Amino acid sequence: MTIQTDTFQPVAKEDLAFVGTEPVPALPYYDPHYFDLEVEAIFRKSWLQVAHVCELPEAGSFIVRELEFAHVSILITRNRNGDLRAFHNVCTHRGTQLVQERAGKRALFSCPYHKWTFSGDGELMSAPDFERFYIDKSDCNLVELPVDTCAGMIFVHLDPEPQMGLAEFIGPLAERLNTLTVARATSFSEYTYEVAANWKLTYDNFQENYHLRFIHPRSGEAAGGESNPFGYPSHYGFHGPHRTQTIWSNPDPAVKPFQLFAFAEGVKVSIKDGLDMSNRDYFGIFPNLFLLGNAVTPFSQCIYPISVDRTRSVIRLYWVGDDDKASRRFAQEYAMATALDIHSEDRAVIEAGHRGLRSGALRHIQFQSQEVLCRHLFNEVDARVQRYRAAQREGKQHEC
Amino acid sequence: MSVESQLPAGFESLERFVPQWCIGRSCDRLQARLNSTARERADFFAAAKDIAPAALEMLDRKPSSDYTVQETRLMNLCLALAHIALAVEIQGPDEDHHAASAKYIAITRSAADR
Ligand code: FES
Ligand SMILES: [Fe+2]
Repeated sequence: MTIQTDTFQPVAKEDLAFVGTEPVPALPYYDPHYFDLEVEAIFRKSWLQVAHVCELPEAGSFIVRELEFAHVSILITRNRNGDLRAFHNVCTHRGTQLVQERAGKRALFSCPYHKWTFSGDGELMSAPDFERFYIDKSDCNLVELPVDTCAGMIFVHLDPEPQMGLAEFIGPLAERLNTLTVARATSFSEYTYEVAANWKLTYDNFQENYHLRFIHPRSGEAAGGESNPFGYPSHYGFHGPHRTQTIWSNPDPAVKPFQLFAFAEGVKVSIKDGLDMSNRDYFGIFPNLFLLGNAVTPFSQCIYPISVDRTRSVIRLYWVGDDDKASRRFAQEYAMATALDIHSEDRAVIEAGHRGLRSGALRHIQFQSQEVLCRHLFNEVDARVQRYRAAQREGKQHEC
Repeated sequence: MSVESQLPAGFESLERFVPQWCIGRSCDRLQARLNSTARERADFFAAAKDIAPAALEMLDRKPSSDYTVQETRLMNLCLALAHIALAVEIQGPDEDHHAASAKYIAITRSAADR
């Protein structure tokens, strides 16, 4: 067996300079007005991941999702033909929120107020004393939203007529996403938390490894090594508004004995499930989703803005394999607890970042070359906000 | 007559941890970690870490749905150990600092829960 010489070279700063080298304005990270523009120019104009197909396993399954930044509640159903439909969770009589539960199985949805009753296809099926209205039932269907899937993930769009379909939006990255666990997951573990910070600061924390050795000295010990003390990635990729990196494969990670045992249990299960053990890819999908392709800890994080200074993260670890054996359950629990530890370590420093910026002390913030993904997110966000602003100035309504 | 043992034969040494660490749901296992003392965690980890591989190997012989009450308890101890191992082996002296932030995180779904 040959021992590979460990000769890591971080991606050179000259090779990343095309994304930009200038300081980045601080205001967009805390300004309420800028946030309002982001909602209009980005979150109402992009495909947003809100769920996974395994949450709607059969005809009649439904889920409800809240998008607070738009004050929108979305009802997603699987109809009799097995197709997904998405609607505003709003009764078309007088606007009452139709479904209160977060998930379930049901053929009909009755409004609590006057019992207008809709099918999973959004059709108004019955309404008491309907002869007294001045309309046709067929004009009273639920308000539909575009919905589509990529790699098992369900995306919705708040614009009834999106400028592009989901397939075009994700582009060639879909092929790589389709090889991940998420694409054929049958279950998942999930945890959520909110931070008092802007959504971009939350996202950026997961787009750079510069902080690992300081914020995760123990949990992240295996991420860095002698030749790569910061654990910088071995590759960056830019794909329109999306971005990727390849996590460095540490040839000699510092691993504790029980950690090694638990990890080996995960490897055993993953190999049995036929997962790609070599995947080290990170996918940042615009605007607010990222996934890790790692087989043992296959997690995704969706970063939902609630307001300019409040953000909810939903973290999921997706699983395949249908047995409920002890070693699988143990590996799943250990993987989830591992990811959760890292998220809890990050929480305070994300909030501290927002507090510092909100003070207005800085006009600009600095990104080094290995924070290029943070810069790329800002570039993509700001381009859309500026285009929206310009269009508004010209009085055009639907430009983005 | 001896009292019926709470765990499968061979795992008697873990009996004393059943009241604190035999927990049926992931979200409650996290809470138990956050509400425990360093000594309680260290005790449990020291006693369980070398037995866990044998426990999982034994439990792997059948699906979880076929477990006896004793086997279910042993499984739940192993799942609690996943959390406690991280607290003791990885966080060590930083666990209190870590717990201060972890309390804001809610486990909302767990594939390990049956
Ligand atoms: S508001 Fe829904 S039935 Fe009246
Ligand atoms: Fe971090």
